[in-house]
Amino acid sequence: MNNDITQTITRIAEIIIDELKLEDVTPETFDPDLDLVNEVGVDSMDMATVALFLRDEYEIQIDEDDYPKLTTVRIIARYIDDKLTSND
Amino acid sequence: MITVSSLLDDHWYERYKKISKLNIRSSIYDVTDRCNLRCKGCFFFSSGEHEVASEEKDVSKWHTFVEKEMARGVNLAILIGGEPTLCLDRVEAFYKRLPTFCATNGLIKVPRDRFPDMMVGISLWGDAEDEEILRGKDTFTISSANYAGDPHAYYLYTITPKQLGKTEKIIRKVRDVGLKVHMQLLSNDEDVDGFSWQPDELLAVRLEMDDLLDKYPETVISSKYYHEIITTGKMLGRPFGWMECPSVTEPIDKREPRPKRLTNFIRWSSDLQTMHRCCTSETRDCSTCKDGAAHMSWVMVNKRAHIKTPQDLRNWIEVYEMFAKLYQFIPW
Repeated sequence: MNNDITQTITRIAEIIIDELKLEDVTPETFDPDLDLVNEVGVDSMDMATVALFLRDEYEIQIDEDDYPKLTTVRIIARYIDDKLTSND
Repeated sequence: MITVSSLLDDHWYERYKKISKLNIRSSIYDVTDRCNLRCKGCFFFSSGEHEVASEEKDVSKWHTFVEKEMARGVNLAILIGGEPTLCLDRVEAFYKRLPTFCATNGLIKVPRDRFPDMMVGISLWGDAEDEEILRGKDTFTISSANYAGDPHAYYLYTITPKQLGKTEKIIRKVRDVGLKVHMQLLSNDEDVDGFSWQPDELLAVRLEMDDLLDKYPETVISSKYYHEIITTGKMLGRPFGWMECPSVTEPIDKREPRPKRLTNFIRWSSDLQTMHRCCTSETRDCSTCKDGAAHMSWVMVNKRAHIKTPQDLRNWIEVYEMFAKLYQFIPW
């Protein structure tokens, strides 16, 4: 895993923790492979909120149809990485 | 961090996973301004909603409208009144494209050759005496003959204070015609004498609904947590009201801070242009609103607030399952 992805993972975890007001977890301790729907309880409105932040932060478009695929922080990080790469 | 699986055993976790990705996006549609009944306490007429817009009569426009609603992400159409069965061509515009629920008083039978699996919710306001007082007619005799044994129909039993102590008889009548029943409470928008809830009556009806669920689990589609929420008006210590309601039409929702709400929800008037404020009467006091669907949705959109204790989360699962059953996202 390269540093960029690691940083992205940490930043996504930070956004999710802040926006969803998750307790007893830090960006560093957030398991990037934890299923956001099945384990964290993220719903579509939560996902839309997080997606807005990610859109602004990384200047990418996140299609609403892609939400169901974005099931973990690591998958979201790869999704963003792919978007940024394809924009280069 | 508390996770879902840390709160649930395998059985409940499997139930959670079945519903957690359903992503239901409903909107509500007035199909017509007309009805073949005029019930006292019907919010549609008491708040003048039948007069705010003139219904669209061109069926082709309904088809175009539904296409646009699908593009907006709606995946559940909830059809209400007036009486939708007066305009089956409009109902069909939804049914051909979307999972569709049709509320009806049951006096007109939805033709099953045309709508084989459309979920039909038949309104019922009590025993024959109360139905006569509030609706001018005992509808059960007709609706039960129309829908007996129909696997895609259930009764939506609006309990009134006058029904206390008499609800079991109604549940048995429904069971005996081979149908299911879901219960909600009358909001008495027209202040019909004796039909407004008093605190002791709400406590009593909660116990009565709990008892019915225990006695008739195959007939009653409900949950004790739902009974608690609609009778106390509180969820996790928070009172229901305008600043909590999830069922406010999204484009006109200017609330700050914005509460957890139904994504993309709109309640459309039958002119297909006018939007109503919310899923129920615009003139209703939100602090005393008893709307069952709004309270169910209130629980559903507040999932993470229930990821605190095993009991909280099991309560949430039961309410979500109830909603999913009532709209055919999961089987009875």
